[in-house]
Amino acid sequence: MPAVETTGLRKRYGELIALDELDLTVDRGELYGLLGPNGSGKTTTIEILTGQRTPTAGQARVLGADPVADPIEVRKSIGILPEREDPPSFLTPREYLEFVGEVRELEGIDDRIDRWARKLGFRGVLDTLSADLSEGQRQRVMLAQVFIHEPELAFIDEPLVNLDPLMQAELKEQLKAYCEAGNTLFLSTHFVEVAEQLCTEVGIIADGSLVAERDPQSLADGLLATFETEVAAASEQKQTGETTSRQPQEGKQ
Amino acid sequence: MNIIRRMFVEEYRLHAELFGSGRFLAFPLFTALLAAGGIWLLTLTGSSIGAVVAGIHALVFFFGLQVGTIGLIGRDAMRDVLGDVTLLVFSARTLPVSRRYLLGAFILKDIGYYAAFFLTPIIAGFLPVVAAGELTLGQFGLLWLSVIATFGLGAGSSLTLAGIGTRSKIALVAVVGAVVAAIVLAPETAVSLTPYAVYTEPAVESLLASAVLLAVVLVAGPLLFEPATNSRARRGDPDRYRQLKRLGDAFTARSLLEVARSSGSVWKVAFSLGVLFAVAALLLDRLADVTALDPSGGIAFGTLLGLGSFTTYNWLTQADKPREFLRYPKALTIVYRGKFRAFLLLSVPIGVGYLAIAALWYPPADLLVGLVVFPLVSVYVFGLTAYLTGLSPNELLFDTPLFALYGAGLAMLAVPLLVASLAHGTAPQQSTGFAVGLSVLAAGVGWLLLGRTGDRWHNRLRE
Repeated sequence: MPAVETTGLRKRYGELIALDELDLTVDRGELYGLLGPNGSGKTTTIEILTGQRTPTAGQARVLGADPVADPIEVRKSIGILPEREDPPSFLTPREYLEFVGEVRELEGIDDRIDRWARKLGFRGVLDTLSADLSEGQRQRVMLAQVFIHEPELAFIDEPLVNLDPLMQAELKEQLKAYCEAGNTLFLSTHFVEVAEQLCTEVGIIADGSLVAERDPQSLADGLLATFETEVAAASEQKQTGETTSRQPQEGKQ
Repeated sequence: MNIIRRMFVEEYRLHAELFGSGRFLAFPLFTALLAAGGIWLLTLTGSSIGAVVAGIHALVFFFGLQVGTIGLIGRDAMRDVLGDVTLLVFSARTLPVSRRYLLGAFILKDIGYYAAFFLTPIIAGFLPVVAAGELTLGQFGLLWLSVIATFGLGAGSSLTLAGIGTRSKIALVAVVGAVVAAIVLAPETAVSLTPYAVYTEPAVESLLASAVLLAVVLVAGPLLFEPATNSRARRGDPDRYRQLKRLGDAFTARSLLEVARSSGSVWKVAFSLGVLFAVAALLLDRLADVTALDPSGGIAFGTLLGLGSFTTYNWLTQADKPREFLRYPKALTIVYRGKFRAFLLLSVPIGVGYLAIAALWYPPADLLVGLVVFPLVSVYVFGLTAYLTGLSPNELLFDTPLFALYGAGLAMLAVPLLVASLAHGTAPQQSTGFAVGLSVLAAGVGWLLLGRTGDRWHNRLRE
């Protein structure tokens, strides 16, 4: 059973089509990167897979459960790092992680907080209000809430944002080790080098559709060249398709 | 002037974009209709136009005080309320414009904005009275002027008090004490200096006096105000969260901590309810003076404080990012239950405290019914507010159709309860029984709505 599977996933926001027949499969133990330009549908994909959005059409399975019909069950076994979100301003990291522990009904929360604060390097600010932390410290706290319950699958949206180079390098190693232990990571990014360095498989998404899937290590020209080619081809194909489908209407007028 | 214009346009765009131009532009029309209806109802109960005008001035003054308290609640809340897009918070950092100038421009913009979209429609509610010949066009013009100036006086006063408070707490207490003493010892002289006197006694003297008072507070506020800067990182007591969790669950503890640690702490809850309590006391006092009615203080205070607990809901949700709660393996229903416990823990003791203060001049036995009505009305208000507005009550209440629905929901309960309060003099037992019965029913409705709120907003947020 794959960790993530979608079939014909479609999402419309009014006139805007955010996802258009998205089919993808992520095997267990994989570090899968969803790479795409801004507005290509990455965040919407993660939101649907984590039960935060309902698709307009199509199916999704996450660890065998349906995130649309049973979002609570899915959220129990996954971790989620949203893009650009801080921990609650008026809680300290310790309080926020205690809150997460309580909501997730975790045993031994003190030990878990201590372990993750040590791993991600924010032990010194555990009792400082989050509003007074630096951007990088807040990102570390957000990463801790993803992994504190040791989920077998985590969805992380731009995990390296605001981290200093040393922490970035350390986190990359931790993420790789997490997958080597048999867990699955679903990473969304628009940084080609992040996907290239981290992922075992990269899906390129453009205009809401998956246009290519590649193992970044196997590409002779590198991921950037492949990305540019695939996105340009998808854009051209879409324009051609739109022109073709619009022609009969124009003819009527 | 350019900055004020840009701030005005920015605020309009913010509202127009949030709710659509058409829906937002309908808001003044709705306000005017609501005001006209309210004035008509008050005259039906025997209130004179003079009493209604006095009441409108009092309400607008307190509303201005509330708007001006943006300065009282500090910079972090200012950012929460206004967002990163506002000129006020961020321009002083990036442009060669002083913070004082921006603050002054902000207050003037607020006066202009509220005058255009809120105060003028309220005054337009008096047009049927003009048509009936009970108010001349000249008086109508003076009313418009004095109401806008009264709002400016309220906003400027609270900013000035906040400004004094940022420099010296002792000076703040001294100034508040002096103002209260002047109002108590020489109420007529105090009122003669306010814009209200421009309406009641139009003369050069009253115009000059109120203009000077208004200018003083509008200049002093921005000059004196020094926003708090966090020179060092604030630390939280590691045991506090666990202590608060004993009062409910994780969501209750978090909500209470967020209110207590944001600027103004739990005092802002007391202040918001206190403003309402003061207005209610003033209106009840005026009502008893100008009509032959003997309203029940218990029912009236219980109802109005219960309605005012909307502000407590507002404070409890101010730091929330609703989508965050979709990431946890808990139904939103549980989040709302946690909020509800926090709401009761904050608003009930404060409301009961105000009822105790009212016992200083109302018979305590008369106020006992308030102890029943107030928490029950609060339950209804929580259920209705949560059901209709989710965790974003501030933004959604600028949406005209929703605001109308919310207003109707509150009026359905408030109007019969206030009528029961007014009827208390003639039928004390029946009115008390009716008020208690209706409050119990309303609390039941609120509880039902609360039970459906989680699923409703879970589905909406996932759209």
